[in-house]
Amino acid sequence: MQPLTGLSSSSPMECSSLSATAPIWQDILAQAMTGELLAAMNYASLSEICDDPAEVADALEHAQGERGHAAAFAAEGRKIGVDVTNNVDAKHWKRLREAFLRCIAERDFIACLIVQEIMLESFAVASYSRVGKVAPGSLGETFARIAAEEEDHVDHAMSILRAERARDAQRFDDKVYRLHLDVMTTLAQMLAKECKDGHCEVCHHTCVKPSLFEVSLSAAELRGASLQQYLKTLDMLGIPGEVTLAWVTQLPV
Amino acid sequence: MGHSATSVATPRQTIDVDFALIGHQESWRAAADVIAVLRGPERTPLPDDEIKDILPWIPPRAVCHVDVGSITGAKARGLYIDSFIPPDRLEAAYVHENIARVRSAAACAIKAGARIVSLGGFSSILIEGNFDLLPERHDTVFTTGNTLTVAFIVQGIKKMCALEGRDLSKSTLLIVGATGDVGSGCARCLAPLVRRVLLSARNVERLRRLAAELEADGVEAEIATDLQRFSAHADVVVCAASLASPSLFLGRIAPDAIVCDAGYPKNLSPSADMPNAKVFLGGLGQITTGMKFTPDFHGVLNRHPFPDVVHGCLLEGMALALEHRFEPFSQGRGFITPHRVEEMETIAACHGIYLAPLYNADGPLEHAVHSPEGMLWSMSDSAALLPG
Repeated sequence: MQPLTGLSSSSPMECSSLSATAPIWQDILAQAMTGELLAAMNYASLSEICDDPAEVADALEHAQGERGHAAAFAAEGRKIGVDVTNNVDAKHWKRLREAFLRCIAERDFIACLIVQEIMLESFAVASYSRVGKVAPGSLGETFARIAAEEEDHVDHAMSILRAERARDAQRFDDKVYRLHLDVMTTLAQMLAKECKDGHCEVCHHTCVKPSLFEVSLSAAELRGASLQQYLKTLDMLGIPGEVTLAWVTQLPV
Repeated sequence: MGHSATSVATPRQTIDVDFALIGHQESWRAAADVIAVLRGPERTPLPDDEIKDILPWIPPRAVCHVDVGSITGAKARGLYIDSFIPPDRLEAAYVHENIARVRSAAACAIKAGARIVSLGGFSSILIEGNFDLLPERHDTVFTTGNTLTVAFIVQGIKKMCALEGRDLSKSTLLIVGATGDVGSGCARCLAPLVRRVLLSARNVERLRRLAAELEADGVEAEIATDLQRFSAHADVVVCAASLASPSLFLGRIAPDAIVCDAGYPKNLSPSADMPNAKVFLGGLGQITTGMKFTPDFHGVLNRHPFPDVVHGCLLEGMALALEHRFEPFSQGRGFITPHRVEEMETIAACHGIYLAPLYNADGPLEHAVHSPEGMLWSMSDSAALLPG
């Protein structure tokens, strides 16, 4: 497992004009950083079940990339004068990690790709893109750049997953659905407009969602964009649209 | 979620289909009902605010399979594809977004292998003059379905006049939205049958062109962009305007006027004060051998007081598929003629697709009876319209 400390250590702060909204960006960055660290842990775990040395190298490279993203988010926090913390043991993130580890325990490489690249990365690409559009200056640029980088490695996974589906579509779709019920249910709870089941354990104080409008965002928009990206990614895999529509509409809100 | 994933992930793979129907919901209530069916009876329906937040993000996609049969025994398999245009985003401000949605829905139809695609509601309004905006089509053809819509509007007017004991030839006809594809088609079909023709639309140049065309055929037509100038004079009105919401007020209207609301969404404002007017919803047909939706969207995608009633524009695609005439029967704007309407009526009737029993927001305007096959038939349907 990758060490999680040290990424958010303080360095000389850069003054910024974002002081009024800094606590909001702090929470957004904390969620993003936690997600990146979780992804880094997932790729590191994935490297342990890969047989092909090239796949091992790929997974480790991705893990390093995700750690770089986490560091970039921490650095953006420092620029606006906030300390960006992370908590991969926060309840939702922990459940997502546990779901991934179940795939690792089964040594199911394809399931790992589905969880990380189709489900978690859809969420990351869509939400970072939205944040990238509204966040000012280098903060916005960092979110937009990382969204683009995440999209790039989704493309790589897609070719592997499409080939897998071509071998047995029904089996593949059943697997995606089983993982959808597990992972996307948790993601949907995270993305709900309000955190109905208590504090998420990542936001540094109260829930950031009701304040998102102050930075031209909303929880509904981030959820909508994420689910749209997920549906489009499933379309690219070739899973029938009427099937995935039912899956998504059945998620909790 | 509480149920096993086993074999429920993909209950049915998408396979090549004969036809596809592209549509959208005309109200949030209708959209909520679609989402409720997709969620299944074991889950609580989503609150309205969640529906309004989620629906705009859903990319166009197939919602269900539609199987239809003909009285000849022919069968056709189709898909209903929803563009998920939010009901409150039909205005001009969203035109580019909505065209993109229809294009994306069309791409779904092409990918599914549909040989003919009907464009329902605003889909056809968005595309009727811009068929080049559709994606590369391979073996898929598109029809707006407007010819059969016009056929059912004209049949409905004739039937309503008969029910009310009116002589159509002595009537003053007003067409609202006269320069649209449906409105102009209705003008060409109905103008020769009435005493006086009033045409109303927003674009005066198009109105002049339509009036000149009718005059060349020996029918004199009066035109106005100001609807209120005409509404008091008309005793038969066809509302075929492209309105984003039911917002039309006819103003002062002749007592006992017959009004056909053929819009989707409906044209007439629910608060329009038209005492004694005989309003009915036009452009609707009924497929007598029924439809099978998988999953079951009966009464949800076709929200009418009679079974198996569908808008003419969608039925046109089904009729052409049953006829194995995979051709773009209705395309562009302003090409619907009485001859083409008659041809489409004949094709539809061959497969048991007829004018639906008339109704309005208050309910059926005709009594209906169950046929031996379990279908609901209107008592006033003429024997000639019944199969066999």
